[in-house]
Order: sequence, then C-alpha cells, then structure tokens
Amino acid sequence: MTGRHAAIAVAILAIAAAPWILATPYWRGILVLCAMNVLLALSLNLVMGYTGQLNLGQSAFFAIGAYVSTILIKSHGWNFWLAGLVAVLAAGVLGLALAAFAARLRGHYLAIASLGFAVITYQVLLNWEDVTQGVRGIYGILPPVPGTTGLFYLVAGIAAAVYLLLDNLVRSPVGDTLRAIREDEVSAASLGINRAAWKAFAFGLGAAIAGLAGIFYPGFVGTLVPDAFGIVESFTMMAMVIVGGMGTMIGPVIGAIVLTFLPEVLRGFGELRLLIYGLALTLVVLFMPGGIVQAWTALRARMRR
Amino acid sequence: MPDLLALVVQQSVNGVYLGCLYVMVALGLTLIYGVLNQINFAHADFVTVGAFTAFFVATRFATRMLGLPDTGGYLLSLIAALGAGAVLGILVNAAVFAPLRRQGADELRPLIATIGVSVLLENGQLALFGPIPYQFDSPFARETIRLGPIFFSAQSVLVVAVSVASITALYVFMRFTFLGKALRAVAQDRETAGLMGINPNLVIALTIVIASALAGMGGALLGPVVVLTPFTGASLIVKAFAIVIIGGFGNMQGTIIAGLMVGVIEAFTVQYLGSGLIDLVVFALLLTMLVVRPTGLIAERKEENV
Repeated sequence: MTGRHAAIAVAILAIAAAPWILATPYWRGILVLCAMNVLLALSLNLVMGYTGQLNLGQSAFFAIGAYVSTILIKSHGWNFWLAGLVAVLAAGVLGLALAAFAARLRGHYLAIASLGFAVITYQVLLNWEDVTQGVRGIYGILPPVPGTTGLFYLVAGIAAAVYLLLDNLVRSPVGDTLRAIREDEVSAASLGINRAAWKAFAFGLGAAIAGLAGIFYPGFVGTLVPDAFGIVESFTMMAMVIVGGMGTMIGPVIGAIVLTFLPEVLRGFGELRLLIYGLALTLVVLFMPGGIVQAWTALRARMRR
Repeated sequence: MPDLLALVVQQSVNGVYLGCLYVMVALGLTLIYGVLNQINFAHADFVTVGAFTAFFVATRFATRMLGLPDTGGYLLSLIAALGAGAVLGILVNAAVFAPLRRQGADELRPLIATIGVSVLLENGQLALFGPIPYQFDSPFARETIRLGPIFFSAQSVLVVAVSVASITALYVFMRFTFLGKALRAVAQDRETAGLMGINPNLVIALTIVIASALAGMGGALLGPVVVLTPFTGASLIVKAFAIVIIGGFGNMQGTIIAGLMVGVIEAFTVQYLGSGLIDLVVFALLLTMLVVRPTGLIAERKEENV
C-alpha cells in the first residue's frame, strides 16, 4: 500500500503546485478546465470502460448539472451548494432514464439511443426559452469561490475525491460485477447478476459525476449557452477516455490532461482543438487500442528486458 | 381545392422531396450495416464533402473553366460529388474498416474510430472553408413549377428523379447482377460466402464505395437546398440514424419507407410546431421505436443487439 500512498501524496503535491507553476490567469483557467475534464472522463469511463456500455450521451448530463444549478441559483435565489446537490441528483435521475434504454439495448443500438438522448437534451435547452433562455444564454454567473486558483483547488479536490471513490469501487466486488457485465452480459446474468440494476447503477453514478462537473462550468465561464453541450462534447470526453486508456483508472485522467493541454501547447493550432481530438481518437483506436496506459506498459516491459 | 387540403398536399410533396434526400443518405448507412454489421459514423460527413465538391465544381470549375451552362455545370457537379464520395469510401475502408477487421476488433471499435474520422472531417473542412455558410445556387432551384395551388421547384423534381433512379439502379444491381448476388451472400453469411469463392474483402470494399458514393451525390443534391457549412452533414447524421433504426437496421425497404416517413413528418412539424422542434420530434419517434419495436418497421433477421 505504500506505493498507493506515495501516489496520493504526489497527486496532492501536483494539484497544490500546479497553479503556481502555471501562474498566469490564462493557464490557471486551463487548469480549471482540465480538472473539469478529468471529472467528465472519469464519469464516462465508469460506464464505457468498466461496464462496457458505449454511451454517446454523456454531454447531456454535463448540461443538466450546469443548467439545473444555474437556474436554481439565478431564478430562485438558491444557495450554490444546495442547488449543486439538486443538480447532481437531477443528472443522476436522468442517467437512470437512459439506463432504462440500456437495459434493453446493446452495442450499436445503445450508442444511437444515447446519442438521441444527447440531441433531445440539447434541443430542449435550445427551445425551452422560458426556462433556459435558449440561444440568448444566461449571463453574469458567479463562481462558488472567488478567484481562478480557488476554483481550481475546489474542482481538482473534488476530482481527486471522486477518483479515490471510483478507485475503491472498481476494486471492490461491485467492480467485478460491472466488469462481468462488460465481458459477457449473458454469462453475467447466468451467474445471478441483475444486469438491469447494475447498468442503472453505473449510468446513474456516471451521470451524477458528469452533472457534478457541470455545476462548476457556468461559474467558470460566466455564461451559459446550449452550444457548450452539443454532441461533440460527448465525443471529446470519449477521446479523453480512449486516448488515456479505457477501463483503467489512471488512463482517463492522463487522457483528460493530455488532450486539455496538447491543443494549448501546439499554439497556432488553438482553433484546431477538435481536429486534434478527432485525429487522436482515430489513430489511438487503430494503432493503440489500450491508449497511453497500454503504450506505457509495453514500453516498460521492453525496457526491463 | 380547399385550403386545408392544398396545405396537406403541399406539405406532403415537400416531405417526399426531403425524404428522398434522407433516403439517399440513410441507404448507404443501412447498406454498410447489412453487409458489414458496422456503422460508419462519418457517413454524413461524406455528404458534406460531396456538397462542397459539387459547389466548387459547379460554381468554379464547370462554368468558369469549361464554360458550361449553369445546368450542365450542376449536372457535372453531381457526378463529381459521386466520385468524391467513392474516393472517401475507398479511403475509410482502407484506413479504418479493413485494418480493424484484420485485427478482429469488436463491433464498437470501428464505430469509435469513425467518430474520430467524423470530427476530423468536420473540423478539417471548417479550417478550409470557414464557418460562414456558402450560397450554393442550383439553376434548378430557381425554377418554380406550379400545379394548381401546389408549388415546387425544379430542384425537387431533380432530387426525386435522381433518388428514384439511384435506388432503382441499386435494386437492379443487387437483384440481377453477379456482384449484387455476391454482396447479398456476404451479408447473409460472410464465412460461407467466402467458402463459395467470393472474396468478402472485395465485396465489403465495394459496398462501402457504393454507399459513400450515394452519400456524396446526396450532398450535391442537398447543397443548394440547405445552409451549406462544414456541419451540414453533422446535422443530418442524427436523422439518418433515426431513419435507419426506424426502418430496421440493414433493411433497405424499411429504410426507404422510414426515410419518406421522416421527411413527411418533418414537413408537417415545420408547418404546425415550428422548425426548431424537428430533431426533437424525430428523436422522440426514434426512442419510442427503440422501446416498442427495436427491430424496426421490417424485422429482417434475428438481431443480437437488442
């Protein structure tokens, strides 16, 4: 366990030091974005990596977290934390709704149903103008804590806590159950695993975590428009999970960090962020299906020889 | 004719015309699924590439460099878009589908890889052509034909004619030629077809090329009637998936019926509910269909995914 404790210590140090190494307001903003992306990648990985359900609708839950919390705060005068709690629960409940489809559908059909889910959510945000303001957007949203550095510590701290929670979860018998469903649903069912219930658990928890990332997004950007939650956001989350290494705990974290910073480092390509994501996604699936984690393991094995 | 009846006929005409465009796109998806059991997520982006190819051929190359008249230029651009689609089909097969098949990858890896291709194509075109919509004038879109109280453009007649011709050609090919028979054999059972001396890899490549060529030409037909941006296809893909699922994945007749149905539903949605709600209505229909009858309108064979 010492290795694990050392890793936790290194992670805490890295989070504490990051805003002082990247000390300009711009880079601190990127750090906040990175912490949010880590949360999103972790949430999708639970469903896609561990439970084996191709879910293209994760952007919907991110959107629900953002919109429900913001509307409760702005229109009803709620306190941030209470509104955030309700928003996370709302995203989780919506995740259960998608799980109802997942209980009946698999593979390509589930992928398209979940895509439809994201499209419908986006269209509702766009058209239900009385509540969401539609394309006009909601403006002047304040972050829960003042200052970019404070927001980074908050979101990164939450991301680290979620990581530890999920890490314990996937190493528990629950993790074995989810992996059993991923490997072979029929065999899992024959062992007495209630497929529908466990899929609902994974979708619900994954959706709640994406919603949790969502509650911090509006305060960070200051405005809220439906276009921030198009289906392409689901694809960027998927790119992070797959580039890092699907079905491992550390992979999506690495993927989120790499894909957040890569477009920034390749200055001049800043506008081409999604181009890089698309290319990375295709190349990794074709040549390195286990992502960076797999490449790293292979490299280490070769070095030892 | 009473006003209401005229309105219903008018919207049905619009719907059938839209539906024909959708069928051109969705048919390729269903064709690939039928033979390969795979989804090409970038399929609708081939439509965009076809539309841009047609735009540049019609407005720059044919009329200015070859000195063709407008109508000739546009018809030539249809062929060019067909070719562009076919080339993309060859590329995506060689780069994604064939290597992943050799690796024996599971069914979701090609889907994820083509999502990457889709994002790449959209943003590559965004970098090349910019976000500002292109005005693609088809000479046929300017001509309006009037039948009593019903109006439609010559473009819509062309769209329906080209779609019907393509679908007929595809049907004749599948039904009466040796290659078409081989294609159906591979769709039914790839291994057994291989044992009968059919080269499945060749047939699969051919299927993808035909499907992509249809998508490219669909783009040339669609370009003048929609807002042409790098994301034109992306807005279409969700509808194409809905059509394919409603019709029954891999089933061509089902796809044609569902395509026309979605076109008509869309026309009436615009009339009575507003154009903002189209995707909502179509997708609500899709999700309902998935719950009530996941095999689609016409269930072809035993489905392992549901």
